[in-house]
Amino acid sequence: MRLLLFLSCFLFSLQANTQENFTISGTLTNGSTGELLIGAQVLVPSIKRAVSSNNYGFYSLSVPKGVYIIEFKSIGLTDKKMELDINRNTELNIELQVAEKNIEEVQINAKKGENVNSTKIGQMALEIEDIKLLPAFMGEVDVLKTIQLLPGVSSVSEGGQGFYVRGGGPDQNLVLLDEAIVYNPSHLFGFFSVFNSDAVKGVNLTKGTMPANFGGRMSSVLEVNMNEGNSKKFKVKGGIGLISSRLTFEGPIKKDKGSFIISGRRTYIDVLMKSLIPKKSPFSGSGYYFYDFNFKANYKLGKNDKLFLSGYFGKDKFFYDNKNDNFLVDMPWGNSIASLRWNHVFSGKLFMNVSSTYTGYQFSFGSQQDQFKFRLSSSISDIGSKVDFSYFPNDRHKIKYGLSYIYHTFIPTSVAISAEEVDFDMGKPQKIFSHESAVYFSDDYDVSDRFRLNFGLRYSFYQQTGPFTRYIKGTIGHSDTTITYSKGEIIKFYQGLEPRISARFTLTENSSIKAGYSINNQYVHLTSMSAVSLPTDIWYPSTSIAKPQKGWQATAGYFQDFFNGKIETSVEVYYKGMNNLIEFKEGVLPTDNVKDNTDNLLTFGKGWSYGAEFFIKRKIGKLTGWIGYTWAKTERKFPEINGGKVYPAKYDRRHDLSVVATYKMNERWVFSSTFIYATGNTLTLPTAWYVQDNSLLFDYGARNSTRMAPYHRLDISATLYGKTYKIRKNDQGESERIPKKYKSNWSFSIYNVYNRANPFFLYVDSNGDLFKGDFNMKVKQVTLFPIIPSFTWNFEF
Amino acid sequence: MKKLIYFIGIVFLLCSCTKEVQIDIPGYEEKIVIDGNIETGQPPIVLISKSNDIYSPTDLNSYLNSFIKGAIVTVSNGTTTIQLDQICTDDLPPGTEQIAADLFGISVDELSNFHLCAYTSFNPVIWGEIGKNYTLTVTYNGKTYTSSTYINQPTSLDSVYWKAETSYPDYGYSYARLTDNPSTYDAYLWQVKRINIQSDGKPKDNIFTKTFNPVFDDEFVNGLSFNFFYENPMSFDDSTVQSQYKGLYHKGDSVVIKFSKMNQDVYNYFEKKYTQLATQGNPFATPINIVSNISGGALGVWAGYSPSFDTLYCQ
Repeated sequence: MRLLLFLSCFLFSLQANTQENFTISGTLTNGSTGELLIGAQVLVPSIKRAVSSNNYGFYSLSVPKGVYIIEFKSIGLTDKKMELDINRNTELNIELQVAEKNIEEVQINAKKGENVNSTKIGQMALEIEDIKLLPAFMGEVDVLKTIQLLPGVSSVSEGGQGFYVRGGGPDQNLVLLDEAIVYNPSHLFGFFSVFNSDAVKGVNLTKGTMPANFGGRMSSVLEVNMNEGNSKKFKVKGGIGLISSRLTFEGPIKKDKGSFIISGRRTYIDVLMKSLIPKKSPFSGSGYYFYDFNFKANYKLGKNDKLFLSGYFGKDKFFYDNKNDNFLVDMPWGNSIASLRWNHVFSGKLFMNVSSTYTGYQFSFGSQQDQFKFRLSSSISDIGSKVDFSYFPNDRHKIKYGLSYIYHTFIPTSVAISAEEVDFDMGKPQKIFSHESAVYFSDDYDVSDRFRLNFGLRYSFYQQTGPFTRYIKGTIGHSDTTITYSKGEIIKFYQGLEPRISARFTLTENSSIKAGYSINNQYVHLTSMSAVSLPTDIWYPSTSIAKPQKGWQATAGYFQDFFNGKIETSVEVYYKGMNNLIEFKEGVLPTDNVKDNTDNLLTFGKGWSYGAEFFIKRKIGKLTGWIGYTWAKTERKFPEINGGKVYPAKYDRRHDLSVVATYKMNERWVFSSTFIYATGNTLTLPTAWYVQDNSLLFDYGARNSTRMAPYHRLDISATLYGKTYKIRKNDQGESERIPKKYKSNWSFSIYNVYNRANPFFLYVDSNGDLFKGDFNMKVKQVTLFPIIPSFTWNFEF
Repeated sequence: MKKLIYFIGIVFLLCSCTKEVQIDIPGYEEKIVIDGNIETGQPPIVLISKSNDIYSPTDLNSYLNSFIKGAIVTVSNGTTTIQLDQICTDDLPPGTEQIAADLFGISVDELSNFHLCAYTSFNPVIWGEIGKNYTLTVTYNGKTYTSSTYINQPTSLDSVYWKAETSYPDYGYSYARLTDNPSTYDAYLWQVKRINIQSDGKPKDNIFTKTFNPVFDDEFVNGLSFNFFYENPMSFDDSTVQSQYKGLYHKGDSVVIKFSKMNQDVYNYFEKKYTQLATQGNPFATPINIVSNISGGALGVWAGYSPSFDTLYCQ
């Protein structure tokens, strides 16, 4: 609090020096839907001033007294120009209308210069409309898959959950849905993301220097913003695909005052399986489905206040019911997320957002065979709140400051086993309570016309509190002892300073160099016992044994635009160091996790990664898209793993290439394709076999010493839009285009066009009996997806 | 949790395809494999072999040729140290052929085709006794490998019984009731053989066979009295048993149950061994290296057992 007071005094002193300036501020919205415009530009060309709107459509700009032409631009919308005499602070809420013609011109203006001018390094934004045009696996548009096409971002494999940014693990990405943390952003082991494309407005990924207003993760921030809903009229849209369908309903709560959107989807693989699998098959009782709902409402309370309520609820469920052998399995998991936000504009210079968020993640696995019952579950529940201020004291400073707090409750593993009348003693479920908080300050400062500096400081705090039972493992032959902490007792406290700095130096109108450095602390960790990511991976908070992860990243880049901003290019290099990384000790078994603290099974080490990313993007024209290439190296060193020797991380990829192209042939046809090439992942395979007591056993080699074959794949898609107008003769006998209320399109995709058998994993397969002379052993590769065509029909009215 | 891993494995395998690949698996180094045990009233028996490259041939000859002869093997009980004798298949003491054949996993007829050696001692001074610690030392090619193991007090089962399956009145699993000692760490091994005399005058089984996962410890059952069941492991290799009866004992079977206790480090070895066997080829399990209780870089185990015996009449 004292820090906030100090900041306020400091900010006031900034303002005191700038009495001659006036502020132009307001909210930018889409004129046809009322949706807030994120990242739209406000320009004053005569004095070379430009700002972009924040996540709530708010902008603020300071200019000296005078007459100016002010321009408002957003992609896909018609520019608006206004001449204004600015002699006092002015509020300008602007609606931009949908562009009917000259889309190309609109687009080029809207985003021109952003690549070169901002201090943002390693930051990329994607519009949902662009994502929807790309080939979609089984017809499901997926923002996470598209993110993985950007340089520096990769997936472990087709079946891997989450994504990997610049050599960091999947837990090092802060995934936010309307500011609430999403712990598991995947459905079906990572084949689909939890983000329903009809409910999403756009995504923004920061993989370089993280701004100070974000923290708690080491590698990246992925902000996913939901649509607010149409505040002008009621609309229904949806899609019917091969494996799932979507339906969205949106409209005004009160016209131009508030709106809502409800969106849902469900897969029907289970229904299809039921009809395809014969009743006598052992898999006849099996199935899988997922569903999710998104909800958002917003309401203007007054001129300066706005409320947003967002919610997400999703569930995946596997089930297996075989009555023949009395074997039952069910495995549900899912996220539930809610956020309530309040925007308040104190003045044209000061904007505040207060958020309260809830995030829950539950996983459960149960099986029953005859009298034997087994249930494993884990869960996370976060209740958080934060206050963020954006302050625009003058035309050279954009200041952000605020504080945040999260109360975590983790149940990493809880197991119950019973056989007939006896309940086995599996110990009490571990429950871990902790508090995570942070204060931050940052300033985007135009030191001169050519030099812009963004510097920030974040100070984070973390404490684990009771109740808690600490198991201290006895040595062989000795039983364990425990220490019990009472409710509210502080068990461990951590804190850390996290400086963030990035700078841009403009070389020419079309080129700049940027550099950044950041330190991040991470207090929650994802631990995985298996070779691939699964919903069973356990989130574990910091404790006295599991110290916070600490990472630093230095990055530098050269940015150049060509052809008046039509083509953007960049080259970025980075080096990232990571301490206190977490892995399970070698040879740990899942059952070791019971009647013990998970952190007793963990081991800690460090990692580093470095690389270069090359990016070229054509933003405008009939043919758009990008080529991204990354050269990288990611290594780990753990004293207790691999004999303390350095080994490659499982997602260490030397080469990673993505080519994305979209061709808009005419008003009705759009074609698109993506191509990916990546060095194969590493894994640990047995190097030797031996026999003990007539059993053939394996001796494994160095950690991740084997590399799979490279991964490459080509996907293509075509979208056919229905006619958006009817032709009618008017009274004068002339043909006239009448817009249709009802719109639809067909989207056709082919995944893995040339049917490449990409490696998902390798294993050593053995058959027969060594002692009967029919034994053989082979290294086998499992491939998940062959060529898969799919189609989706989308509609809107 | 293991079931969960299998289940997810099945789901993935259902929607995937596999093919054989030849990829470079670097890092092979030949290691010595020591497989030794000593139990109450029995001589120590030690087999020594070598590990083989994963791509090397996996026929019986390659395995049998990997046995090592000429090692110096000693066992000490703290007061007496005895060098074990090298007994080879082509020079077996009379009446020990069947024991030797079972030890190497081959038939009696094949014994003479191979020159296989084990290390043991006929000196009863070094035979297993309850409450004693036994230290093994193996010296081969200038390297020395050592380990020690302890023979615990045995724990008897409270009772054993057989229960017919509802759907198959003549077949059922073997059941037992055990009361675990609350004040000690206990780890158990379950082995069985059927002693019904067949028409040829021989018993159904010659040797004790282990079940799929024959070991458990008292981590979750410490101090409890509880019932548990085990499958019939012999039935899986018996082609005369129909598939629905695999794992079940036939009504009328007489089964000797050898229920042994072992040390924690021995249990840790077997727990990882059987987990590795159960998860071989499953990508959802981490690679499990089986940690030996033998120092010096050898693979394998030196295990002391204290068995108790029960006979189960399946009726």
